[in-house]
Amino acid sequence: MKKMVILAVMVGLTATGAVAAPPKGDPAKGKLIASQVCLACHGIDGNGTEPTNPEFPKLAGKQPEYLLKQLKDYKSGKRKNEIMVAMVASLTPDDMANLALYFAGQKAKPGVVKNSALLAQGKKIYMDGNPEAGVPACAGCHEADASGYAFFPHLAGQHAEYTLLQLKRFNTGERDNDKGLAMQSVTIKMTEQEMKAVAEYLAGVPLK
Amino acid sequence: MKKLFFLAAALILVQTVPVLADVPQQPKAPGVESKGYVWNEPAGEKAEILKLKGDAERGRIAYRVCQGCHKSDGAGLRDGTYPQLAGQHATVLIKQMADVRDGRRENPKMFPFAGKHIIDMQEIADVAVYLQNMKIPHDNGKGPGTSLARGKELYKSDCHDCHGENGEGNEKKFYPVLAGQHYKYMLRQIMNIRDGKRGNANLKMVKVVQNYSDADMEAVVDYMSRLSMPERSAVRK
Repeated sequence: MKKMVILAVMVGLTATGAVAAPPKGDPAKGKLIASQVCLACHGIDGNGTEPTNPEFPKLAGKQPEYLLKQLKDYKSGKRKNEIMVAMVASLTPDDMANLALYFAGQKAKPGVVKNSALLAQGKKIYMDGNPEAGVPACAGCHEADASGYAFFPHLAGQHAEYTLLQLKRFNTGERDNDKGLAMQSVTIKMTEQEMKAVAEYLAGVPLK
Repeated sequence: MKKLFFLAAALILVQTVPVLADVPQQPKAPGVESKGYVWNEPAGEKAEILKLKGDAERGRIAYRVCQGCHKSDGAGLRDGTYPQLAGQHATVLIKQMADVRDGRRENPKMFPFAGKHIIDMQEIADVAVYLQNMKIPHDNGKGPGTSLARGKELYKSDCHDCHGENGEGNEKKFYPVLAGQHYKYMLRQIMNIRDGKRGNANLKMVKVVQNYSDADMEAVVDYMSRLSMPERSAVRK
């Protein structure tokens, strides 16, 4: 907890205006809500209760800024998802900040790679993109170790099924709450095979 | 009959082309191909951005959406797919980004990550300063090294006056740094300039290179790819 506060202060100091300060709140209050509202799908530790269910992502260890933005976007309708829209209906802005801080502070468990044949291709796209097609490297925004930064989410160890579904939804514009349409612009140039490979690679990226 | 065939073909297309996200497309602004084109007209968004004071630390954060292609060290790709940007003059970077945003310089690959929808004018000023302060790499992509004498001769007679002895360009005149730039990137640009495919080309330069053969272009660009600039602080004015 102390570590997280220090980290939050540090992030706040280095981000000079261009990035909003991380949310303030009480993760203990967040845990209480999580134990009533979120645990069935995301697990009380935020690692997801069904790794193969693409609708149950891992939340543990993601940036609080990112988690809060998603909750707000579900609430405002910017991010569409029937289950999540129902879940956030009763949450206040403070509840959402508390939840974001709580799940951000949980320890993510390593992901599971099911098809290691895809890893080399996935790593190549993640690190180098596809210059010919104009796909930028994912590492540019999400960091080489997939630890993310502020609104660019932490991706290491995420369930491959969830990552793949999001890439596909960005590709079709079904998910369109990405800043500056960046993810939609990236994924319209990706093939389904490339998306599968990147998703599989990310599941296997070790956690720090 | 023919019509029917087209209809059938169109139907097949509709069925097989997947629905894709609706992302902004690069607009088109009149450039070198249009009558009355003036290079580097001090107008529009570029003029606005040049008035802003850039901040390198904010630039470091805003640069994130660029480094998927241009890399964290600004060096792009040595095969020339993406240019080297580290140590480039801020004025040049601002002009080029503004030209891509306006569509005077065609670049559909870059536009989604450089348009108004993703990065604002202040962020462009910030990124420009951030990149200008970076060190120019020496391990840039180079040419085959087979006609360097000819390349030097051409450079001294045609390029030297604007781009400088060491490829340092001119910050005030918006002439780019060439030192450290990738061979294949420069070759593509100089050919595009000759062939009227670079919309924001400098007319003076079009005139200089319009009668260049491919071989001469390769020679002079090879020489350029080997230029090395002294410390950046020494050339800043």
